[in-house]
Amino acid sequence: MKDVYVVGGALHPAGRHYDKNIDDLAAAVLDKAIADAQADIEALFVASSTAELGNKQQLLGVYVLESLGLDKIPVFRIENGDGSGGAAVVAAYHALRAGEYNCVAVVGVDKPNDVLSNQQQDIYATTLDTHFERYFGFTPLSYAALMAKMYLKKYEYKYEDLARWAVLMHAHGAGNPYAYFRRPVKLEDAVNSEVVSEPLRLYDVGPLADGAAAAVLCNNKKKDGPRILSVTTSTNAVGFNARNEYDVLYSLEEAARSALKKAGITPRDIAAAEVHDSFSIFGALALEGLGIVKRGGALAALREGDLPVNLSGGFKARGNILGATGVYQVVELAWQLMGREFKRVEGNYGVVHSMGGVDRVSTVIVVGL
Amino acid sequence: MKHESVPIYWRNIPQYYRLVAKRCKKCGAVHFPPVVRCRCGSKELEDLELPKEGKLVEFTVLHQVGTDFLKQKPLVVGLVELSNGVRVVGQIVDAQVEKLAPGAKVEVVFRRVVADGKHGLVMYGYKFRPVGL
Amino acid sequence: MKVGIVSWGAYIPKYRIRTEEVARIWGDDPLRIVDVYLVDEKSVEGIDEDAVTIAVEAARRAIRRAGIDPKKIGAVYAGTESKPYAVKPISSILVDALGLSNNVFAVDMEFACKAGSEGLVAAIGLVKAGQVEYGMTVGTDTSQGEPGEHLEYSASSGGVALIVGRDGVAAELEAVYSYVSDTPDFWRREGSPYPMHGEGFTGEPAYFRHIIGAAKGLMEKYGYKPSDFAYVVFHQPNGRFPVRAASMLNIPMEKIKPGIVVTHIGNTYNASALMGFAKVLDVAKPGDKILLVPFGSGAGSNAFVFTVTDVVQERQKTGVPTVEDMLRDKIYVDYAQYLKMRKMIKLFD
Repeated sequence: MKDVYVVGGALHPAGRHYDKNIDDLAAAVLDKAIADAQADIEALFVASSTAELGNKQQLLGVYVLESLGLDKIPVFRIENGDGSGGAAVVAAYHALRAGEYNCVAVVGVDKPNDVLSNQQQDIYATTLDTHFERYFGFTPLSYAALMAKMYLKKYEYKYEDLARWAVLMHAHGAGNPYAYFRRPVKLEDAVNSEVVSEPLRLYDVGPLADGAAAAVLCNNKKKDGPRILSVTTSTNAVGFNARNEYDVLYSLEEAARSALKKAGITPRDIAAAEVHDSFSIFGALALEGLGIVKRGGALAALREGDLPVNLSGGFKARGNILGATGVYQVVELAWQLMGREFKRVEGNYGVVHSMGGVDRVSTVIVVGL
Repeated sequence: MKHESVPIYWRNIPQYYRLVAKRCKKCGAVHFPPVVRCRCGSKELEDLELPKEGKLVEFTVLHQVGTDFLKQKPLVVGLVELSNGVRVVGQIVDAQVEKLAPGAKVEVVFRRVVADGKHGLVMYGYKFRPVGL
Repeated sequence: MKVGIVSWGAYIPKYRIRTEEVARIWGDDPLRIVDVYLVDEKSVEGIDEDAVTIAVEAARRAIRRAGIDPKKIGAVYAGTESKPYAVKPISSILVDALGLSNNVFAVDMEFACKAGSEGLVAAIGLVKAGQVEYGMTVGTDTSQGEPGEHLEYSASSGGVALIVGRDGVAAELEAVYSYVSDTPDFWRREGSPYPMHGEGFTGEPAYFRHIIGAAKGLMEKYGYKPSDFAYVVFHQPNGRFPVRAASMLNIPMEKIKPGIVVTHIGNTYNASALMGFAKVLDVAKPGDKILLVPFGSGAGSNAFVFTVTDVVQERQKTGVPTVEDMLRDKIYVDYAQYLKMRKMIKLFD
């Protein structure tokens, strides 16, 4: 089995890119990543959550290649909802491990702002069970709110404890040149923001943003690119109504256990983590799921100070770029380990957590120098 | 969403109207929404209409909604445990939110869920409503 | 051969608007309006309710009260003048929502406020003929009244379902008599959102002529006198009409009063007289005779005489909400909320 390295990467700033088509936006970052890697790619893995429903484009990979004038390269479209990015990296990783290709690219792109905000809610809600959850008006936010409510009660936290997540994310996002929001916020801003689904407020929700990220992965090391030590994707095939607990991300627990074991590291070795905090509560639960803090301890740890989680600013400050986010996270983490664009983290291992739906599928990717 | 699929609605009518679940003939586990295979491995499943009363486990008041619910917001949505222990998610209607709390007794009611524009189909389904609040 | 009402189920939406709140908007004197119509407040359906959902709730309660297998119901009729669809039956939705068999006679009926009671006649006929074991009729409405027009003070929402059969009869049918003529007192044209009516013309030539015609006709034909009845229930477009009809028939007030609901919920159209009937059944004693006379504009009345049986006591103890329970269980809305809930604000669709 061959090793897999992150050889090149490129990010497009998250935002409202009304002037760019989805294929062109993806093509622009892919072009940059290929140039960064100085390698020819043999296959393209495309991650997107809503290219079809929101941007009305199937076969997106082909149109991305057409925009760059690249011919005859196989394309694979990966859809795992807002966890598509992590899943596409996994698919690319497996192809390289098997020795099928030497170098491939993963591009993640989503442009939620091509539709109106309520249509975004419609589309995001298709990550839920369309017949029995979306139909009745549920959205991912509503479930995050239910989970937050139960979590805060169970561990006797105040809302203020959860609001610190947004404050930390904004503090981190200020150091990310590609983040949607690059300014710190005060706790009182978060605590006084409008209620969107109690107990959650506006600052608990990662804003949907347009963006694209690309990574070139190869099975030979080039320059100083870090290695992908392990990947695991796991699912939670239990509906929200039938779950045993509501303060656990079941899909993450299994993915984390397996990926860390395969990489031969423990949670204590994690120098930086990029987790799927589409809603603040998921960020807290991800810290627990990865084993960085004990169950119920995330908000207490947050109270005590800085944590090396989401140095990108996470979904709150970098933005929620839906299916592209997992690719952003991998590039961000690689750069954090390398000290490129971000301050170099102290340590050699980092993990990415990319999740689709409300704890339906999680991918954990362990990256090491 | 505009132009909801009529066949999708139609085929789910037993669930939407009467909460018809699947019960495993082998281990007795009840599945809602229905499944084709029980976790015990058995594929011998029979229809079971769920009870029409239960209690609220938790709820939230949702202010950001999709296009179908823009004129009904905020939506009260929650998790309900029916009297046989099966849990179902759904909208909570006719509720005075300040009086609502986990453990509140609720009953299943039949309500409009989505109207497909002014000319399309009106789609119905189960919701929950507090009893004695 | 005992045929009659096996069970009843009523449903009143939880929301109410006070007459004074409506009068505030349209510059009317609320005291005068209340005095004219004797309607203090009226029921308003929730934003996700319509004549279908109301019918389902009422019907489910009737089935629950009866304790029968819904698959034994062989006919289901919906009487309404507020169908969500011009074409597509409520009755077929009832079939699946109630879990009836597919071998069932089903149709929606229209005769202004009388259709639900005409469904009762049809169900009785099928049961008597031995064609079905049980038949059901539901009177259901989310009645329309043009905003600012006097009809708005009474037009309200509610539903009542009645199950007819031979087994477990709680109120045995003794007699039925109809009285119908072409009297254009009230109508709504195809595609028109609100009905038109003839103001005072809805009184003497319409309501009173047909109610009295049916009630008198029945009493004469079958030999009843007012003193035979423990309760008398008429259609209730407002609080004054049924009282006056009673006095025209020399029926004392105390027999009319228990069945009056219009003061608290307004005119629920197809559920109006049936709601009064359900309220009476909630408290009636074995042996009581009930005269029930619904009325539909256009115009016609059916007069029914029922005798309450011992079974009624069992039916009264089933825990199904009574009309009285629902009259008390309410949430007040203001006029703006009322317009939103009744979908009368012009929106993109």
